[in-house]
Amino acid sequence: MKQGSKSPRSEQQFFDDPAIDRIMGAFMALATEHYVLLDRVRAMERELVNAGTLNRGSLGREPDEVERAETSADRTAFIEALMRPLLGEQEALGAAGKFSLK
Amino acid sequence: MDDRSFAAAQDFLLSAKTFWSTTMYQALRDKHAAAKKTASGDAGEPVAAIAHALEDTTQYQFYSWLERHLQRMKYVGRYGLVPYHHERRDELLATFDQSIDADNAVQIDGSLTLPAYYTGVDIHQHPGGVWSDDVAGMIYERGARTTTPLVGVAEKDVHERFTDLALGERTPAKILDMGCGFGKSTQPFVRRLPDSSVDAVDLSAPCLRLAAYGTRESQASNVRFRQMNACNTDYDDGTFDLVTSTMVLHELPPKTIEELLGEAFRVLSPGGRMVHLDFYCLPDAFRRFVHYGHARRNNEPYMQPLAELDLSALVASKGFVDVEIKPFQESDHIDLNANDAWRFPWTVIAATKPSEAAQ
Repeated sequence: MKQGSKSPRSEQQFFDDPAIDRIMGAFMALATEHYVLLDRVRAMERELVNAGTLNRGSLGREPDEVERAETSADRTAFIEALMRPLLGEQEALGAAGKFSLK
Repeated sequence: MDDRSFAAAQDFLLSAKTFWSTTMYQALRDKHAAAKKTASGDAGEPVAAIAHALEDTTQYQFYSWLERHLQRMKYVGRYGLVPYHHERRDELLATFDQSIDADNAVQIDGSLTLPAYYTGVDIHQHPGGVWSDDVAGMIYERGARTTTPLVGVAEKDVHERFTDLALGERTPAKILDMGCGFGKSTQPFVRRLPDSSVDAVDLSAPCLRLAAYGTRESQASNVRFRQMNACNTDYDDGTFDLVTSTMVLHELPPKTIEELLGEAFRVLSPGGRMVHLDFYCLPDAFRRFVHYGHARRNNEPYMQPLAELDLSALVASKGFVDVEIKPFQESDHIDLNANDAWRFPWTVIAATKPSEAAQ
């Protein structure tokens, strides 16, 4: 959030590559958002248990093989999306490697 | 954002800060200790040597980044103190409508020119500082609850403990609290000495209004909060028996510290005592290195100059005697000899104005 009319000033740099400084900012924002969401899910569970709509024991039990099988494909797709970029391979064929117009 | 989301995010950041101030601090301390073993002797180790050994390490880079940005996220971003209070501005200001300005407990001076050192930097990474917005006092107050994560809910004890020390066996009839902020440092004196009169001055109108509101709630009638530069007050010579400040000196350039000490001497009665709580005594070069880094990362440009001042000589040069400068234990469980967690170098700076017989 920008405050007042002061002109923007470069943020302090701590890592050798300023890209890491910036990506850390995005990472911590996501981690905060994740915790806020976790907190809200817990609050909803509490409300639902108090209303008698939810059995916390049932929700917290280890899933059986049937349920695991049902969610397996979704889990695989999630891991695929998360980890495929680590391979550094093109999805649509084009020029490869780092380029420069120097 | 709703209150739950704000609280969850702030709790998350506080937990992260606790991890940083213990585990990450210890790792940095150990890295420094290991580097020292391989260095040729450590006598008179300068801060620059520690910087040379640590600054390029990954450990220090993460430590520094987290110190800077956990504080930034506390104030701004989706769940920061600033947007939280801005969203609730009307509701919050309605809790003490502008009639507070007519209250006997507060005196706002609309003509006061704020010094450039005060307006030029957003201290603590508080956007706009503690003075430029009507809700700035509330933001500052809320943020200060987690300034010392390891003290936690006992944060109030810092002020209570300082009041114990500043009063000792004395019962001063007139007290001046310089740079009182939102009144947290003033309240213990007001509460404990109902028959004494306490004046508290600060540059920030929003903070003073919040302080006065606290006074209205506690129904105390022995305190006045006045918008005034502590270096140039309108009090007569020899008005007060005790002059205090809490976490003010490190926000001032050295020349202004000198002015403040001179003003404290002027307004004190002969035999009166001056007691300040601030950040000064650094037991070793590693903690000096950490402190200077904190100053830079937390937008505290005058913290390092204060730590490098010959404060004892400066206080004495103003005419004070019995100058005492010693480490301050901010909480019962703090061991001043340990170095297991990041902490401010809390220090008490006290001195006496000579009695007339001695002058």
